[in-house]
Amino acid sequence: MVEFSPEVIDTVIRASALLGAGFAMIAGIGPGIGQGYAAGKAVESVARDPEARGNIITTMLLGQAVAESTGIYSLVIAIVLIFTI
Amino acid sequence: MKNIDDPQKLQKEILKITYLISLLPIISSLLFGEYDITLGFVFGLVIATLLLRLKYNNIIRALSMEEDSAEKFIRNRYFIEYALYFVVLFSAAKNANLNFLAAAVGLFMIKFVVILMSIVDLLKDTFQRKFDEYK
Amino acid sequence: MIEFTPEVANTVITTASYVAAGAAMMAGMGPGIGMGFAAGKATSAVRRQPEARGPIITTMLLGQVISASTGIYSLVIAIFLIYGI
Repeated sequence: MVEFSPEVIDTVIRASALLGAGFAMIAGIGPGIGQGYAAGKAVESVARDPEARGNIITTMLLGQAVAESTGIYSLVIAIVLIFTI
Repeated sequence: MKNIDDPQKLQKEILKITYLISLLPIISSLLFGEYDITLGFVFGLVIATLLLRLKYNNIIRALSMEEDSAEKFIRNRYFIEYALYFVVLFSAAKNANLNFLAAAVGLFMIKFVVILMSIVDLLKDTFQRKFDEYK
Repeated sequence: MIEFTPEVANTVITTASYVAAGAAMMAGMGPGIGMGFAAGKATSAVRRQPEARGPIITTMLLGQVISASTGIYSLVIAIFLIYGI
């Protein structure tokens, strides 16, 4: 039977928490693509209807701010993994 | 946002509001004697201002290109910008006189202001509509 | 009972944090793809409607300011992991 000393267990847990923090940040790809896509579509619709530009820009910015939230979730999880475990 | 048709004026408006809001953390960190926070914050803010100008110039250059080459151009320029962010955060992390987190917050300041402005716009719009209905 | 010397524990943790930092930097890809898409749309929009140039530039500038941020989040986490602030 294999037994681990408490230091080994601590090391492994700390190492895997750090790895997990790194992989959590891969989630940042999603909002980046989505926000750029939203900006592209907003530009298209400003060109189609320049009168409504104020509304389009406000809607785009709010949509991007909401799309940002998944990125912020991964950031929070990464920070929690790095600093608490 | 008043200056929606004129990107130059809109940049000036955004920067003015950003600097006004930044006075609060700068003055309070000076009062509490945390000079590394002040320096880090100002460093991040200056770099963010310069990168906004860079982004504007890149967009102006990209607009005169074909669709495919504009896509490639902006993508390559984004990676250059990413490298610049890396250098800024790296020097903030290595230098004891610059607070790392304050530099990161300084970099994000313009973004917060843009989102704040759009929320204020939306609220104004909603209240205007309600008011018109009430009348 | 398996035990680690302090050097082994340090090595494991350092390796894990470097691998994680590399994984976190992958998130820098997303904003690049999205911004490129927006730029492509903007050029075709300006070609179609040259008089709406001002609002198009404004829309794209604001969109790009917001989309760049997820990349910076991942950068912040990567530097946290490498230098252990």
